[in-house]
Amino acid sequence: MHDTLLRVSGINAGTEDKPILHDIDLAVGAGETHVLMGPNGAGKSTLGRVIMGDPAYQVNSGTIEFGGEDITDEAADKRSLAGIFLSYQAPVEVPGVPLYSYLRTITQKRPELKMTARKFRARVGEIADQLDMSGSFLTRELNVGFSGGEKKKIEMLQLLLLRPKLAILDETDSGLDVDALSVVSRGIEAYRADCGGALLVITHNTRILERLSVDRTHVMVQGRLVAEGPASLIDDIDAHGFEQFERANASGGDRA
Amino acid sequence: MSERTEKRTQVADVDRSLYDFTYSEEGYERYDDGLTPDIVRAISEKKDEPEWMLAMRLAALDTYHAKEMAPNWGPSIAGLDMDHISTYVSPRTKQAKSWDDVPDDIKNTFERLGIPEAERESLAGVGAQYDSEIVYHNMREDVAKDGVVYTTIEDALHDPQWEPVVHEYFGTLIPPADHKFAALHYAVWSGGSFVYVPTGVKVEYPLQSYFRLNAEGAGQFEHTLIIVEEGADLHFIEGCSAPKYYEANLHAGAVELFVKDHARLRYSTIENWSKNMYNLNTKRARVGADAQMEWVSGSFGSHVSYLYPTTILQGDRSNCEFSGITFAGATQDLDTGCKVILNGADTTATVDTKSISKDGGCNTFRSSVIVGRRAANARCSVSCQSLMLDDISRSDTIPAMDVRNATASVGHEATIGRISDDTILYLMSRGCSEPEARTMVVGGFANPVSKELPLEYAVEMNNLIKLEMEGAIG
Amino acid sequence: MAESASGTLVLERVNTPPAQTWNHLRANDITLTVPVVSRKGDVYFALPRLFESIECGMGGAVTDWIESQASDARYVEVRAGEKREEPIIAESDTGIMVRAGAEATIVVCAPTGGPAQGTTAALVRIIAERGAQVHVLEFVCGDTEQHLESVGIVAGEDARVDVRQFFLGAGTTAAGLAVALDGNRARLDLSCRYLARDNDVLDINHVIRQRGRNTRCDVHESGVLDGHARKALRATIDLVHGSSGSEGAELENVLVLSDDVTNKTMPVILCDEDDVAGNHGASIGSVAPEQIQYLQDRGLTLEEAEQLYVRALFDEALICAPTSETRKAVLARATEILGSETASDLVEGLDLAEKSGPFATTEV
Repeated sequence: MHDTLLRVSGINAGTEDKPILHDIDLAVGAGETHVLMGPNGAGKSTLGRVIMGDPAYQVNSGTIEFGGEDITDEAADKRSLAGIFLSYQAPVEVPGVPLYSYLRTITQKRPELKMTARKFRARVGEIADQLDMSGSFLTRELNVGFSGGEKKKIEMLQLLLLRPKLAILDETDSGLDVDALSVVSRGIEAYRADCGGALLVITHNTRILERLSVDRTHVMVQGRLVAEGPASLIDDIDAHGFEQFERANASGGDRA
Repeated sequence: MSERTEKRTQVADVDRSLYDFTYSEEGYERYDDGLTPDIVRAISEKKDEPEWMLAMRLAALDTYHAKEMAPNWGPSIAGLDMDHISTYVSPRTKQAKSWDDVPDDIKNTFERLGIPEAERESLAGVGAQYDSEIVYHNMREDVAKDGVVYTTIEDALHDPQWEPVVHEYFGTLIPPADHKFAALHYAVWSGGSFVYVPTGVKVEYPLQSYFRLNAEGAGQFEHTLIIVEEGADLHFIEGCSAPKYYEANLHAGAVELFVKDHARLRYSTIENWSKNMYNLNTKRARVGADAQMEWVSGSFGSHVSYLYPTTILQGDRSNCEFSGITFAGATQDLDTGCKVILNGADTTATVDTKSISKDGGCNTFRSSVIVGRRAANARCSVSCQSLMLDDISRSDTIPAMDVRNATASVGHEATIGRISDDTILYLMSRGCSEPEARTMVVGGFANPVSKELPLEYAVEMNNLIKLEMEGAIG
Repeated sequence: MAESASGTLVLERVNTPPAQTWNHLRANDITLTVPVVSRKGDVYFALPRLFESIECGMGGAVTDWIESQASDARYVEVRAGEKREEPIIAESDTGIMVRAGAEATIVVCAPTGGPAQGTTAALVRIIAERGAQVHVLEFVCGDTEQHLESVGIVAGEDARVDVRQFFLGAGTTAAGLAVALDGNRARLDLSCRYLARDNDVLDINHVIRQRGRNTRCDVHESGVLDGHARKALRATIDLVHGSSGSEGAELENVLVLSDDVTNKTMPVILCDEDDVAGNHGASIGSVAPEQIQYLQDRGLTLEEAEQLYVRALFDEALICAPTSETRKAVLARATEILGSETASDLVEGLDLAEKSGPFATTEV
């Protein structure tokens, strides 16, 4: 058993006027791969955002520990420096900021990653090659005018560059064509192989999981984690969908 | 790569003290405060001017006293008391051609501002004005060989070859009656540059004039006259700064630019006057057929600014591009923008401005686009973006368009808003602190303007933005 | 308004926007000469004092002048929650109170008596209380020498105001509209369509003050200028301190058909709040080449293509005209400009629109 990297205990959270997450308990060990599944609108992305520290969501009770430290009240940048990475479903466009300057800035913030500009360039070039990205991306403005697939590749580029301890991938596979999907899968594999970091993969389809060795699977329905199981749970969901969990939750039944 | 990077880093580390230092004006020649014909005569006499210039000065002084500021628009200049402004302050030194001949305190000033270094590396010529007089002027020999003239107006007036040229052009584009402070300028002007680029000559490196106002309670009234003959090409850079005082200072310069047919002129300015400066500057360009005028303008300093570089596209197919950025922080009321007059057929103009308001600063973008009857197929587009960084600042956009030709097309778009929370969160989630994230976004916002500047100036501008952004915390 | 003038008055700085610019552009205001008759000894019924504080688009001088010249002021109240079907016809000096949750349509129609009519004017002040819905329709289609129309509206919490202006008349038209979105979530949709030709003078001032939180304003002006027409539009969106969450957008499209036209446009945004969004756009010019090409491919000449834009103005005006009087006014002006054949075509189109609605499909 690995040390616990992330421990979410009894989290109730939501927006100012609407509770979304109820009594969430989740533990991810260092280097483990967890999958969070559930139907649309279940609150999966919210959980990712809450772990990352999005102030749009209020944590009403419960704690989040990362690496043994309580980070419940920490700002997002602190969590990032501590080693949490959230890959966004729709990465934000930042006009006027070239990708290169951006990458350089976020890397230099981390003592463990500080390197000379020459090395940095080489490193970025290496990752870009790995992801089938052309170098010309680097001079373009951050996420501005990129296609959905390109934006996801830029997220993967950052993942491999920053080497976080925990990567939360929020619907990274959605809306991608087959080629982009394979590049993203390669990125995730590279992250597992090179960085040995933990993964929390948020998804509602199972294709992206085929090439991952999954340690635990969690199912979320209406803001609650209603089931937890080994990798084989994915096959179960693949075959039968989420209805069984939804019915159980609606009837107030026991956790599966 | 690494050397360049190191240098950038070095520059990036400078602090406010880069601009905020003063030297004593002991031993300087300082004329009495206020505005009288005697003072105007004394300035003219000291410069040993032709008769016509003195006559022009005295007539302009009358105009100044007769004219009023418009009562219905523009920031207040109530804090400016002309009875407490000395219009002429001069260090007792001769204009030098070598930095070694410049007095130490003045040389140190320009060293700290990086002027001699820039000259060595990337400029074709440099002029440096300290208070009312140019203290240094030099140009590369190869450029001089091509017939390019870069000197002061005073020297040109004493040169029999150039005196008639100055007489022909001086004060014709910006007439003394243009507005109250143009009249004041012509009454007491001193220093500035005269540049002449002969037909067909393309000046490879920029020329630069740097204006430093060191004295307290004083005015700077330099006149810049540039003539770019047919088919010639020039990039001229203007830098301005001053240390901070509590008494009001005044800058009322005039810039007259004549861009002949097929010629091209780029005029770049980084202005960082101190926050006690009233900057009432007038700049105007007349552009011939198939010629090009480009403005790059960064306004960071001054307490109050009235600044609207004007381009008159007189010749057919002439073109104007204007990029400007204005950053208004605490105690600043900056009314900036531009004017474009499209008179020729098939003329085109593009205006792209940004403004940033912060800490109670007040920004007004003011523009006018006039399309004359003769301007068939003229095209003009104006884009103006304003960023509000807090809820105590203010940002107004006041453009005006006057179109009198059916085949012309004029477009205008303006947006005002703030940095979205999503953007900040995105950057924070990647490890930037909130102030760093904000600085990054503001830098990106300013990027379209700074990328138009030569590298050294882009670096300086980014530093100014960083200073302004971090000032509130430190 | 009375034309038996016993004298004239010069009204200066009419239609002034809140923020002004270089006076040499002559775009800040308009000066108008208006007749005055002495009403000494007449008993004049003024509006409730409440209306005095409402900002009207043309400014205080015009308000004072109209009040001094109107034979009477008229006050109309729509009771809370009432859905008034019958349009309220507003004339020279009218104050309308639309109580909470009520809905009303207000029609302002300039007189059409010909140039002999001299100067005409209307002053309309409207209060839309919380949750009220107010539809304002302004038609200036006459051919009097000069028409002044000054409107002021105050919108309370959740009030929704939509204003449609049609300035299609001959002579001099000066119109000012000021809307104060005072209540939270108050909303204004303003559409202004205009035509100025021959020696017409058209001077418009739009002032929208966004004071409440989360207010919205959407302003769209568009029109056609021909002949020696002179037109000025000042449109100001004022995002007042405290209006956080508000958004204001304004867009003008001007079609210029003659080199003798003078078009002045001054789109101003004043912003004293950071959590807001303000947008302005203006496009001034001739019909885009690709549009002309498309229309020509369908068999129109350039002139016909341009006239299509004029016709579209009348089409829209006619569809919006709610009363027989307004329809008559629009139609008379359309006949004068487009000819009787096109005008009757408009009417047929209107009938069609009435039967099936403009977006109706063939299915019933």
